[in-house]
This record gives sequence, C-alpha cells and structure tokens, in this order.
Amino acid sequence: MMLKTFTCLGLLVTGAAYADALTDADEIVRQSNLASYYAGADGRSEVRMIIRDPQGRQQRRQFTVLRRNVEAGGDQQFLVVFSQPSDVRNTTFLVHKHVDRDDDRWLYLPGLDLVKRISAGDKRTSFVGAHYFYEDVSGRRPTDDKHELVETGDERYVLKHTPRDAGSVEFASYTTWIDRETFLPMKIDYVNAAGDVYRRVEVLEVTEIDGHPTVTLSRVDDLAGGGRTDMQFRHIRYDVGLPETVFTERSLRNPPREHLERPVQ
Amino acid sequence: MSRVFIRLATERPRLVYAMILAVTLVTGALISQIRIDTDPENMLPATQTDRVFHNHVEQRFALHDVIVVGVVNDKDSQGIYNAQSLAALHALSESILKLDGVIGPDLMSLAVSDNITQEGPGTIRFEWLMREAPTLPSQVESIREAVQRLPLLMDTLVSGDGKAAAIYVPIESKDLSYPLSREIRALADALDSGDEYHITGLPVAEDTFGHDMFVQMGISAPLAGLMIFLLMLYFFRSVPLVVAPMLVAMATVIISMGLLIGLGFTVHIMSSMIPIFLMPIAVVDSVHIMSEFADTHKPNTNARDTVAKVVEHLFTPMLFTSLTSAVGFLSLLLTPIPPVQIFGAFVAFGILLAFVLTILLIPAYIVRMSPKALDKLASRSSTPRPETPLARGLRTSGRFAVRRGKLVATFALLVVAVSAAGVTRIEINDNPVRWFKEQHPIRVADRVLNEHFAGTYDAFVVLSHRDEAALPRFQREALEMLVRLAESERAALTPYVEADAMALGAYYGNLIAAVDDALFEADDEQTTTILEQLQLLAEQAQIEAKYFQRPDVLKQIETLQDALMATGDVGKTNALPDVVKVVNRELRGGDSDDYRVPQNASAVAQTLLQYQSSHRPQDLWHMVTPDYSSTAIWLQLKSGDNQDMSRVMDALDRHLAAHPLPNDVELRWAGKTFINVVWQDAMVNGMLTSLLGAFAVVFLMMTALFRSLRLGLLAMVPLSVTILGVYGLIGWIGKDYDMPIAVLSSLTLGLSVDFAIHFIERSRSLLQSTGSFKRAVGQVFEEPARAIARNAIVIAIGFTPLFFAPLVPYITVGAFMAAIMALSGLTTLFLLPALMALAGPWLFPDLRDAFGEAAAAAPDSLLKEAT
Repeated sequence: MMLKTFTCLGLLVTGAAYADALTDADEIVRQSNLASYYAGADGRSEVRMIIRDPQGRQQRRQFTVLRRNVEAGGDQQFLVVFSQPSDVRNTTFLVHKHVDRDDDRWLYLPGLDLVKRISAGDKRTSFVGAHYFYEDVSGRRPTDDKHELVETGDERYVLKHTPRDAGSVEFASYTTWIDRETFLPMKIDYVNAAGDVYRRVEVLEVTEIDGHPTVTLSRVDDLAGGGRTDMQFRHIRYDVGLPETVFTERSLRNPPREHLERPVQ
Repeated sequence: MSRVFIRLATERPRLVYAMILAVTLVTGALISQIRIDTDPENMLPATQTDRVFHNHVEQRFALHDVIVVGVVNDKDSQGIYNAQSLAALHALSESILKLDGVIGPDLMSLAVSDNITQEGPGTIRFEWLMREAPTLPSQVESIREAVQRLPLLMDTLVSGDGKAAAIYVPIESKDLSYPLSREIRALADALDSGDEYHITGLPVAEDTFGHDMFVQMGISAPLAGLMIFLLMLYFFRSVPLVVAPMLVAMATVIISMGLLIGLGFTVHIMSSMIPIFLMPIAVVDSVHIMSEFADTHKPNTNARDTVAKVVEHLFTPMLFTSLTSAVGFLSLLLTPIPPVQIFGAFVAFGILLAFVLTILLIPAYIVRMSPKALDKLASRSSTPRPETPLARGLRTSGRFAVRRGKLVATFALLVVAVSAAGVTRIEINDNPVRWFKEQHPIRVADRVLNEHFAGTYDAFVVLSHRDEAALPRFQREALEMLVRLAESERAALTPYVEADAMALGAYYGNLIAAVDDALFEADDEQTTTILEQLQLLAEQAQIEAKYFQRPDVLKQIETLQDALMATGDVGKTNALPDVVKVVNRELRGGDSDDYRVPQNASAVAQTLLQYQSSHRPQDLWHMVTPDYSSTAIWLQLKSGDNQDMSRVMDALDRHLAAHPLPNDVELRWAGKTFINVVWQDAMVNGMLTSLLGAFAVVFLMMTALFRSLRLGLLAMVPLSVTILGVYGLIGWIGKDYDMPIAVLSSLTLGLSVDFAIHFIERSRSLLQSTGSFKRAVGQVFEEPARAIARNAIVIAIGFTPLFFAPLVPYITVGAFMAAIMALSGLTTLFLLPALMALAGPWLFPDLRDAFGEAAAAAPDSLLKEAT
C-alpha cells in the first residue's frame, strides 16, 4: 500500500479516462496497479506506521523506502530501512519483485549481525506486526484474481475480485472502490467465507507530488479483531535517480546513506 | 404477639388464605426471571483484589475463556500423525472457525499455526504449518518434525506421545460455552476419522453445570417434597393432616425463591439448593402443631379454642428453634463469599417465613376443616395407638443412657477425640470439574486429555515492572533541554513531554516522532544538536522502559520457568523467552545450540519483529504488553485441584525467597485455577468465623431462653459433638473439604440445637411438674423423644432425593445431611440424659431435690421406679 505513493508519470492522461468510463475490469485493474505501485521511474518515501491493538495500545514503526522500477507494471526493486523504534534501527529488507516468479527477499538484522534470505512462502503475513500484509505493501499480482466490474459510479469504479487459488489466501473475495480520475483504490473490503467484511483498507489522504496523485495517509482496519494501523507517507520524491547498485545485498549491511537522507525542502 | 396471629388465623381464615395465595402467586411469577450463575469467579466479590487483578490480566493479555477440544487416536501406531486424523482435525478447525461466538483470530490449532523453517543455507521460510490437510505420508512426517521443533505447540497442540491433538477455542462469552460445546460435539460426530473427540475446559464445565442445575432443581426438589409427604403420611396416617404442612413448605419455597430472583440475585450452585433445604425444615413446626392438636382435640368441642391453645403453647419454643436455625444460616453472612451469603440469608428468611406461615396457615386450615374430619382426627388420637418400634426403642435407649451415664459420656469423649484427630486430617480441596460424576463426559475428557497433554488447567504468573522514578526523571531532563530551544519549538514539544500517554505505551513513540518532525523543520545547528540530544535521550528512556525485552530479564524469566517446572505439578510453561529462543535459533540456522536468548536488547527486539511478521502477530501480546512493561508466564496444569495449585504457589514462594526478584518487579498470580484457590481460602477462613459467630450467638440465645448459663452450655453439647463428629468423619474418610461441605457446619448448628432446646425444655418442665428426675426422664422419652426422632428422620430422609442428583455437590449434601441428623439425634437422646444423670444437681441447682441423694448412686433402681 505504501507504494501507492508512486504514480506512473506515463499515466498522466487521466483526464481522458475520466471523460470516457472504462468498461474492461482487467484494464481498470492494470491502470490501478500502475497508479498505486509504479509512479515515476523511481522514488523515495518515509513511512510512519502507528499500530493500534483493540485496546488502543500503540506501537510505532518508522522506515524509509527506496524503490526502482525495472519495468513499468513489471519487476521492481525495494529497499526498506528502519529508523524507529531505535532498537530495530537499520533493520533492512531488500526485495526484488518479479511478476513471473517468486520475489527474491533478503533481510538484515543488525542486532544479530545476520543477513538472511527469506523464502517466498506466503505473502499474506503481517508486515512487521502491522495490520498491513506483505502483499499490501509490495502489490498483489493482478493475474492472481479474476476481476469483475460491479458498478461504475460518478467518481469510482467498484470492482469485485475473486482469487484464482482460493487455498492460498484467507479471503473469499474483495471489493475495491477505484477513483476514476487517479485510479487509486480508495477503499478495499475483504470478505471471508461467511460473507462478512472482516478487513478494510482505506485511503484517507491523497496529495499531488511531482504531478503524481499520491496516497499520504492510509489505514487498515481489522474489523474482526478490532485493531488498526495508520500509515503516513512523507518526504516523498519521484525520479530521484536511484542507481541499481542501491538494490544489492551490499546495501543490507551498508545502507546507502546519501539516498536515505531526507531531501531538503 | 402470638394472640394477634391466632385471632387473625382463626377468625379470618379466608383472608389468611387469600393473602398467602396472593403473595405466593406474585413472588412465584418472579421465578420466571431466573438467571443462573455458575461462574466460580463469582465466589469472590466483584471488588476482591485478586479477582480484579485476574480480570485486569485477562484484558491486559487479551485472554479469553477457552473450550478445549481434544482428538485422541490410540489405534494408529503413529497416533494422531496420520493423514486421516490430521484431515479431520483440519476440517474440524475450519468448521469451528465458522461458528458464531468463536474468536477466530485467537483459535489455536495445527491448522492455523505458523511455522518457521530452514530452506537451504542462509534461507528461512515463514508459512502456515498445515494450511491444507496433508495427503502424503511425507507431508504428515514433516508436520511431525515441525511440531517437535516448536516448543509452543509441543505438548499443547499435540501431545508428547503423539497420540492426541488439541484445538483451543476462545469464545466471546462464557454463556456460550454450553451451546458451542454441543455444536462442536455435533461437528466432531459428523467426522468419520475413527478418532475419539473430547470436549472440556472450565467454561464448558461451568456452563454444563448450570444446565444440570436446572435439571436437579426440577427433579430433586419435587422428589424431596414427595418423600416428605409420604413420610409424614406414614407417621400421621391422615391425608388432610399432612396436606397442610405441604402447603406451608411449598409456599415457603416459592416465596423465598421468588424473592431471591425478584430482588435480582442470580441462582448459584448454593442458592439452587435452597428449595431442598427449606422443604424439610418448613414442615417441622407444622408437625408439632398438628400432632399436639390431634392429641388434645376432643370430639364435639370447638376446634378454634383447641388450636388457639396449642399455638399459644408452642409459640415460644417454635419461635426459638426457628430463630436459632435462622442464626445458624445467617452466620454464613460472615463468610466473604457472595453466593454463600445469599444462600445463608435466604434460607434464614425462609425459616422465619415458614414459622409465620405455620402459625397462620395451620390454624386457618384446621378451623376450615369439616367437623366430620375433625372428629375423625380427634377420635383416632383418643384411641390408643399400637406401640411402634420407634417408641419402644426410644424408651429402651433412654433407660440405657441414664443407667450407663458414665459409659455414654466416655464413649462421647472417645468420639470427640477420634473426631478431633479426623479434623486435623481434613484436606481442603475443590475443583469445579469434580462437581461432575466420575463417568460424566466432562470428567472423562478431563482425565483423558490430561493424561496426554501438559495440562488443560490454566494459571498465569504475571510480572510487572514499574520504575516510578524513571518518567519524572526523564521529563525533568527533557524539559531542561527544551528551555534551550526557541519559543516555537518549545511550545510544540512541551505537550509531548508532559503528556500522560504512558498507559497506552505511546508516550516515547509520540515524543520521538514529534522531535523527528521538529528536526526536519530545524534550520540552525544549535537547535538540531539539542533536538538530536533530546531524541537520543527519549530513545534510551524508551528502551529502558521496555523492561521485559532485556536479555538478562528474559533469562530471569527462564529461571522462574525452570523453578515452576521443578515443582513437578506443572505440565508446561509458555512464555516470552520461548518465542525469542525459537526465532533466534531459526534465524541463526536452526542449530539447537542457538536455542537461547540473544545477547543484547536490540537483537531481542529484532527477533520479535520477525515473530510479528507472521500470520498471527497478535499472539505476542498474550505474553507481553506492547510496551514490554508486563509479561505473563502461562502455566498448563494437569489438575485443577486447589491443593495442586497451592503446592505450585508455595514452591514458587520458596524459590523467590531464595532468589528474590528486583525491587521494581512485582509478581502476582492470575488465572482460573488460581482464583479457585483464593475463594477456597476465603471460604475456609470465613466458615470458621461464621461458625464461631453463630456458636456465640446461639449460646447467648440458649442462656437467655433457659435463663441459665449451665443449661446454655448443656444445649451446646449435641451440636458441638455433631459438628466435630461430621468433620471428623470427613477427615477420616478422606472426603475433600469443598464448598458444600463447608456450609454443612452452619446447617448442623442450626438444626441440632433445635433438638437440644426441645429436650432440655421438656426435661426441665417435667422436672418441675414431677419433682423427680426418674419420672421426668421417663416421660421425656415418650412423646418429646418421639417428636425429636421423627423430625430427625423426616429431615434426613427428606434430603435423600439428592442421592439421585446428577451433580456431586448435591449428593454430598444429601449424604451428610443424613449423617448430621443421625448424629445430632443420637447425641441429644443419649448424651443429654446421660449428662443430666451425671451432673443433674449442678445443671438444675434450683431443682436439686428432684435428683435426690441416691440419684448419682443408684440411677438404675430410680429409673425403674420411674418407668
């Protein structure tokens, strides 16, 4: 979800799309995927997560994300470096996302002085204890679901998505409300086998940055358990010119300081 | 006062009927609002410290009531590790997750467990342990291997012997456990896996008990009524005569229960026994009136006059016996256990109500009887009745008691001595699961599952760290730094420093984020330096506040876990170090040498960050609070007996005495098994207080009634011997002292003093009227002794339907009721006359002459003369 921040430059033709509603669900999903995860050729953002349990007790996480598109709508590279809380500072994830095979994932834990490869396994696990899943952060492959355009409203498309492999996910289906102008999914409701909405992801704030409509605040609610996580995106820049060398194993133990530093105003 | 009642009853019988009927109907209607309460937690007042803490802990660590479903496979050589059993377990877990009232995210089962494994060198894999049911033997085998590497699952979700697996089903409310356990049972029965399924857990036991309680009230109480009716019919041989006391008993029970329910009290295991306690007690006074009326009424005389005389004559003794019985039960108010207090209060109320109803309803009933029926009654009583075995036996025993006074007294002393020894052997112990009979499915499940697993009973050792000085110290230092900042920054940050967000664990995080924002805005070097210093200070304070993330502290917890396991009574402990050690091992390559707590707090934090990157990140918060200031060690116990739990607590106390915790760490117990120990302790101490209190009050009442300290003492003898005897018996036969046993003391006190009152009162008045102990004793062992014996028999047998109750506490009460009646009847009828024979002149100083010089010397010949 955090990478919804980056909207593809090439998609700044949104006016045309608004005038003439799309009718092909797959095409809407394709454009939404690009708007959400592929803005710019690369980008950086600082993310703050406030994780609240059902009793309102909080945990915070703060990290910087560097992203580089290998190909728009295709492979991507991410480097995620934690800064807060200080006891997990410099914990680093490196992800090479692939559209045609399992992602490559690495992990660096400075406290244990360990670099580990993480086998792909399941993508619907919590992202560092938040109510967001790993898959929410890196993007779910459009080809993993069957898409159906349920409704075309004045401002939003409503789509229903059904998994092709029901055994690999915890939901029976999910519904998205996609902004017709920005193609950002403004709300996603996950429905379980019993037909209840048990999980909701919402965009609470969109800001235009470097010409890209960018999500700057989103929230996931655990409607069954009662907790929620807010994700705030700040200090966002697109097309900063991140070299491919940033996204190598070397960066795990030696974070690229010059690229992680906060940009001046 | 008695006259008012008598006039009302005999002159306005219809009004009396109408009033009693109206009150009975109104209060009876309230019974429909019944609310059953079987929660053992309610044995403690809602404000009791341990209970408050227990509830606080349940909230702090998001703990719920849990139904335990056990699957056992004894047939397969691989036990539960076969494709068919695992598939059934998987299917059952899935179905249970769909049930309403089940807290899905916290359900524990192999089907929803996470696994962390090695996948080649330097690579780890996080995934579901058994996302889908395995089909191949190799898949089954890898599940077995995985479980053996996960100490949190081993012996909790799969038994150590591999023969059993468990599903822990957390539920939203205890009230749902009975219906849910039935639904789960139906789901399990529909599976065709050849496995055995058992369902248990304390909430199931409690809720099932509530259900069975209804059954018992619906069956045992009416049965007791029928029993008493038949018994009285046998003694009095007149249906109309016996109907009246039954009406009194029914009205007493209905009004008492109606009021209890109408006043908003829940019906607890104790109060569910009120009807069956009141029924026999309520008929006793009526029996006195009816039999005396039958004795004195002459045909063709005015029944109204006879009944007025009878009631007036019996008013004082009946009032006193009712008052003393009531005092016995009211003493339960001194016990700090609400259900016992309510029980005591309403039984006492019922006894006094029965007294009032008796003197109103019985005379009204008699004057409304047809003259024909009355004459029949009178003529029957005037014709001499054949000698009954009871009458003959009593006469013989009376003679024996007086003749062999020393023998009887010696024997009584012997009984007291043996009983006192028995009392010291009493084992205080209770366990709600044992309220069910041995062969009840819940008892069977309890036995089977605790044979296989580390234990289905929960207790928690809760550690909390509180460094009161840390926050003020930090705030002082932080505010000093803020002084050096420009006004705008100071104003922005001061609220964060002074905030009171400690409770939610957000204080330092919020402040650090605010400082971070300020740093972004800062444009001069001095401000940046101060803010960076402040950030560093806050970060250090934040890490220090995460006390239970410190490796040295985790090692202390390990030591506590070891000490708990060393008791031998704990099946298993689960705590934060276990999580840290497993993740650390797998991160470092899976070698068993790495199954340890890492060296520094950052390493622990990062290990836990990985643990949280699972399907069930919330599992962590069952062990530690998000601010790491409090942690819980979950103990699995094989037994829910208080004794076993107490032993563990004592052992931990000894360990802590030798290895004290730091001063700023508090250790407390929580969990249902612990709460049971707390109320047991409260009950034992409370019962002693209430017994002593009642003893004192009854003694004062006796002294006042007889206007003699010595006779007051004498009246206390039968009940003292009985209480000692009953508890001695409990000690010798090894019956655990549990809740129903505890309330028996007040019951004994209230009932057996009645016998003594009648016996002494009648003896004294006969001593006065006859002027001779021999003659007096002879007459006491006629009608008065018969009345005492009959009442003992009515009450003892009135409780026998409890033998057929489905629940053990009721059976216990029924059995001991018979013992109490027998014992107090015997002590009254043997020991009292024996003591009078031995110490008559001392006991009755103003009637000294009645005993004569020869009394002590030759009681034999004197007694012969008397009879």
